[in-house]
Amino acid sequence: MTAVTGYWNRLSLASRALLVLVPALLVLGGVATVALALLLPPLLDFLGANLGLVRFIIAATVIIVVTIPTAFVIIYMELKVIARMNLRVGPDRVGPFGAAQSVVHGLKVLSKEDYTPAGVDVSVFTLAPVAVFLTTIMSFLVIPFAPGLVAQDLNIALLYFFAIGGLNVVGLMMAGWASYNKYSLIGALRAAAQAISYEIPLTLSVVGVIILAGTMSTTAIVAQQSGSFLDWNVWKQPLALLVFFIAATAEANRTPLDMTEADQELVAGFATEYSGMRFGFFFFAEYVNVFVVSAIMVVLFFGGWTAPFDWPFPVQLALDPASLGIGLLFLIALAPVLGTVILALPFWLGSSRISTLQALLIGFVLFNVVAVAALLGWAFVSFDWVVGLFWMLAKSYVFVFVFVQMRATFPRVRIDQLMGFAWKWLLPAALLNIFVTAIAVSLVGKG
Amino acid sequence: MDRAFKALLERKLATWLEGPVRQRHDETEVRVRAGDVPQVMRTLHDDSDLRFEYLADLCGVDTGTAFQVVYHLWSDVTPDWLRVIADGIPRDEPRVPSLSFLWKGAEWLEREAYDMFGLVFEGNRDLRRIYLPEDFIGFPLRKDFHLADDAARSPGGGVRPMDRPVPPADADATTLRRTSPGA
Amino acid sequence: MTTPTRPSLDDPALAIPVEHAGIFEPIPVPRTEREREFYDLKDGELLLNMGPHHPSTHGVLRVVLKINGEQIVDVDPVLGYLHRGAEKICENADYHQVISQVDPLEYISALFNEWGAVLSFEKLLDVEVPRRAEYIRVLAGELNRVASHMLFLGFYALDLGGITPILWSFAERDEIMEALAALTGQKLLFNYFRIGGVNGDLNHEFLSRVGDWMSRAGTHLEDGMTLLNENEIFVRRTRGIGVIDRETALRMCVSGANLRASGVPFDLRRAHPYSVYPELDFDIPTRAEGDSLARYLLRFDEVKQSLRIIDQCLHEMPDGPVMAKLPRLLRPRPGRAFSSVEAPRGQYSTYVVSDGTDQPFRMRIHDASFLHLEILGLLMPGTLVQDIMVVMSSLDPVMGGVDK
Repeated sequence: MTAVTGYWNRLSLASRALLVLVPALLVLGGVATVALALLLPPLLDFLGANLGLVRFIIAATVIIVVTIPTAFVIIYMELKVIARMNLRVGPDRVGPFGAAQSVVHGLKVLSKEDYTPAGVDVSVFTLAPVAVFLTTIMSFLVIPFAPGLVAQDLNIALLYFFAIGGLNVVGLMMAGWASYNKYSLIGALRAAAQAISYEIPLTLSVVGVIILAGTMSTTAIVAQQSGSFLDWNVWKQPLALLVFFIAATAEANRTPLDMTEADQELVAGFATEYSGMRFGFFFFAEYVNVFVVSAIMVVLFFGGWTAPFDWPFPVQLALDPASLGIGLLFLIALAPVLGTVILALPFWLGSSRISTLQALLIGFVLFNVVAVAALLGWAFVSFDWVVGLFWMLAKSYVFVFVFVQMRATFPRVRIDQLMGFAWKWLLPAALLNIFVTAIAVSLVGKG
Repeated sequence: MDRAFKALLERKLATWLEGPVRQRHDETEVRVRAGDVPQVMRTLHDDSDLRFEYLADLCGVDTGTAFQVVYHLWSDVTPDWLRVIADGIPRDEPRVPSLSFLWKGAEWLEREAYDMFGLVFEGNRDLRRIYLPEDFIGFPLRKDFHLADDAARSPGGGVRPMDRPVPPADADATTLRRTSPGA
Repeated sequence: MTTPTRPSLDDPALAIPVEHAGIFEPIPVPRTEREREFYDLKDGELLLNMGPHHPSTHGVLRVVLKINGEQIVDVDPVLGYLHRGAEKICENADYHQVISQVDPLEYISALFNEWGAVLSFEKLLDVEVPRRAEYIRVLAGELNRVASHMLFLGFYALDLGGITPILWSFAERDEIMEALAALTGQKLLFNYFRIGGVNGDLNHEFLSRVGDWMSRAGTHLEDGMTLLNENEIFVRRTRGIGVIDRETALRMCVSGANLRASGVPFDLRRAHPYSVYPELDFDIPTRAEGDSLARYLLRFDEVKQSLRIIDQCLHEMPDGPVMAKLPRLLRPRPGRAFSSVEAPRGQYSTYVVSDGTDQPFRMRIHDASFLHLEILGLLMPGTLVQDIMVVMSSLDPVMGGVDK
């Protein structure tokens, strides 16, 4: 016994941990293997019978994961674009050109205290950011990114989209009401008034598109616009696009229609009392929302994933990796080393001020760039969905850019002007659009 | 200096003038009794030869023996500033008629004078402190208001906490920091 | 020691009495007629406390709003968060020290604070200021006026939710401030004017900076600052909001650009000339509308006039000394002097009483911003909560000058 304790006492902390953990893991692994062997067949049977469910769960997980870089990219765009418009440099410390600044912002928000002020309705206060965030990422479900790359191809996708988008305001109301703060309450009431007013023209403006497409499925609407950019709905529905764009700005709470936040008057409105990651969720949701409305605008009016023109130089790659045989193995093993050395050579030879190690490092980085570019190029010419994703994201970010630029350009409108505009101009315009479209369709037919 | 203006003032304000009309540089100065201020100002404002429509300033002054309220007016009939001094307001009963019936903007100026000197403007409908907190005791621009560190200036007086002011009626040479009866 | 617990709604200390329209604070007991009127809340009315920690109250102004939904029923500005008793301080400082004591009052245009003080002291002492010093004063003062108006033009857009113009105008303002720093040695509170002249003659760096800036100031102003002037959202939010008519403006003792925007051509540089302004050629821009947009655009025109004055000063600068000969210790004869200068925010006046010692017996400082805040009570009722930024910002108060 003393020998054992003596041995134990001489061990370092890490060794002790290893000594405990390794056997424990072995035992657990054994148990898990046995359990899996017993449970897997029935589980697989179940999943095989419910493939839709599997697909949904995977899609939902992917979407939650995908929203994070989306928000980061938009936050970075906002920081950088507005800085440029303001004669500033913007973030330039973290990462190349400050690109990782938004990630650091996210980490900072995560590490802050999540404070609950006195007097708030704790449960509602806690649930509000969740409600806002969930409704936003739920709208992601029906956005078709590429042929086949849509989380749920609903036949009532647009209806679903607007229904979920309307739920967003419930979260804002919860936040404003539960915050126990008059500024938040006014912000929440503004949010409710604004969302209800703009929901109507927003929904009515797409009725024209629905009439043309004859369906509410987003994928079908995109498919109907395939061809060149002349087939896009924007040429047939310019008024609808205008109404949709303005109403979507209000729905996404973006300047000049960001009544609910209004830093200069309501001090962030519904989010005044929030701190830490709860506050982070609101802004996460806002930026994701900007992407969502841009994406749905692209889907409805700008042909979604379809390319605006046919690629003028069609490339056919008949490359079958299996045909290389053992050569593939050599390629994988040797190409990085060779590529690195070859790309490093010019630097090593060209300048005596670059040491061998530095030259190799440069070569390695360059090789990675080349390899990634080659891989992407290969994917682009080989897979339809990569092309679709490229065009979809490119078009969406153009509109994200427009939203960001608008924020740096316009002052805020007044609440009565905002409401008056929705009811007196946007709603009649949307209705007019429906009438004209319906008459045109009944006279000329679709197309 | 506008000599003609002096004559004009002496004619128009003859009833209320206390002492001569004085002039120096670009300023013309008249002294009136505090109770006469409304009539004087009404005359200055409404008379078609005077037309003093612009009230430049209103402030209190503590001469050490009495309070004054000093008004500065501008008109296009003269290049001079007109200074009206409402003189001889007793320290223990500082009451002045308000001017807010003529210039509503004077309301806050009077609030400031009340805050700093304790001058009570009768007719001002919002006479409360404007700068200092509501529970502040004492009127800081009075000459008998000493801060704690003013002890260095008057060793004989010692430190007088500002929450225990000397009532104006009891003010004597030791509590008054400076006096200037000629002001 | 007890562990602090998280406050709960069941805590009787946190219960809100029904009659309290303030959330945490009870309604104050009214003392005056005006307060009784203000705190007499009707059904559906709510008190909203705006400031002193609010992003667009220009410092530490606090405004208690009585609102009915989004509509403002009444406002009650509460001052004093920046009050340091400058008048009392000046009574304990000698005449030279007063200049640096009044400097930080209206900190956006500090030169005018000094100007008011030295003008009245020079009257008390019967000092003749050299002509070159007067020209330098006008030059520096007009530069400061441009810088101040630039700040206003940028901040006005910011208060309306436009985030870009403020940085554009700051770029302009910074060039002026750098030039003034080369002249005076300080970048915000210059402490440059002296009784009987100015502290130091023009220097090469100042002149080159000013010349450099003047060569493109006009185009920068047209390019950058006109960003907003015809913006539909901006115009719709400011036109017809916060209208001060001519009679109200005079009754409320409004001065400066706010008065001129109401159609009264009252500018002390012309109405009661001081320094060398009578020799200079410039116009007094006025506008008849009296609304927030007029006040914004009027300051625009004033900047152009100031550029004219700066140009003339630079070209007609006389030679000579920049300081009058004065003793170190100043003991003016007992007497009174009043002086008033046209500061960017309106009339800035100083009334000084001397009792023959080296310290002022009474030093009265009056800044126009103080009375400009008083009009809020007349302008705001009936407008929306959002309009308070539009109106208050267009009156351009600086709390340093308001609170003294």
